Amino acid sequence: MKYFRKMRGTTKSPPRVSLAEMAWSWLGAFLGILAVALINDKFLDGTAQVMLIGSFGASAVLIYGAIKSPLAQPRNLLGGHVISAIIGVSVYKLFPGALWLAAPLAVATAIAVMHATRTLHPPGGATALIAVIGGTKIHALGYFYVVAPVGLGAAIMLAVALLVNNIPKTRSYPEYWV
Amino acid sequence: MANKSPEPTGMHSPEISDEDIFAAMKEIPGYLDITPGDFKEVYHLAWRHARERLLRAAKAREIMTREVAKVKADTPLKDVAVLMAQRAVSGVPVVDDANRVVGVISEKDFLRSMSAGGITSFMGVVAQCLQEKGCKALGIRKGKAADLMSTPAVTVAEDTQVLEIIKLFKEKGINRVPVLDTQGRLSGIVSRGDLLNLATFRGGGAL
Repeated sequence: MKYFRKMRGTTKSPPRVSLAEMAWSWLGAFLGILAVALINDKFLDGTAQVMLIGSFGASAVLIYGAIKSPLAQPRNLLGGHVISAIIGVSVYKLFPGALWLAAPLAVATAIAVMHATRTLHPPGGATALIAVIGGTKIHALGYFYVVAPVGLGAAIMLAVALLVNNIPKTRSYPEYWV
Repeated sequence: MANKSPEPTGMHSPEISDEDIFAAMKEIPGYLDITPGDFKEVYHLAWRHARERLLRAAKAREIMTREVAKVKADTPLKDVAVLMAQRAVSGVPVVDDANRVVGVISEKDFLRSMSAGGITSFMGVVAQCLQEKGCKALGIRKGKAADLMSTPAVTVAEDTQVLEIIKLFKEKGINRVPVLDTQGRLSGIVSRGDLLNLATFRGGGAL
């Protein structure tokens, strides 16, 4: 049956990247997350504000590890995070007492709207989910969650990506801005 | 890939293997966010678009042969045959004194006149000759181009699109078409060979 045959796959996995590529991916990710983590721990410790959220780890994979991917471009990074954050906060505010409903609704809607706006960025799904299940500290931020940690954090990571990804001759970032 | 017709033969994209794509991807530094299978699909579709764009954009003027072997209406068929043999062409336009095309004479016209029952293939004529102990070619010895030529000639303008010419070949069952300038004078000829060169991107230098 064709339906089950499709589950076997049709092609093979892309090749392994070079050691240099792995090293540059490591360095970019280290510096990018470091920048955000430092702000989080040195300046915001003890305040109500947070800077480091889980979805930035996923963004790091893309913008330092798969820099040619459309999913990793600035439009997608910033657009995907900001749009998903707005959706996540809104959905939480609509169903604050039903996280089992708000969680899937936020993620699914984020994906659809990122598609519609050509800003698909997988970590956006996590950003929307965190707005719902991130706990009291996140909930207390309200729509400011969209500005910080989400917007500001993504912007800092983008700056690091621009600085680091363009150092080696074999790398160039971004592929496009808009 | 979906079948799309009408499509001239010999124009499919060169077969490319997953290994070719894998090797190419290895040459590009950095992680490419695409599987070899997806790339292959993109490649085949892009090839088809490129080919259609070239066929659509190309005009008769750009692919025609300018050094046309041609004859006059009163050229003896003997000389027509000699010319066609020398130039290794299967048909020539027949022009008047002002270089306007009045007809086309081809191998098919010769074959038809050399056989009974409208046979238009070389082997058909050979078979008849062998069966009947004699060749009817001698019967047209005294003839002139005007006696055998097909009229009216199917012609195209210099800016006729190649895609239109392909359709014309299929519809009319012809293998060449004279190209006329704006004054209606013969300026070139497009043969199946010219189309083949374009279809395989030879001669155009695109590949």
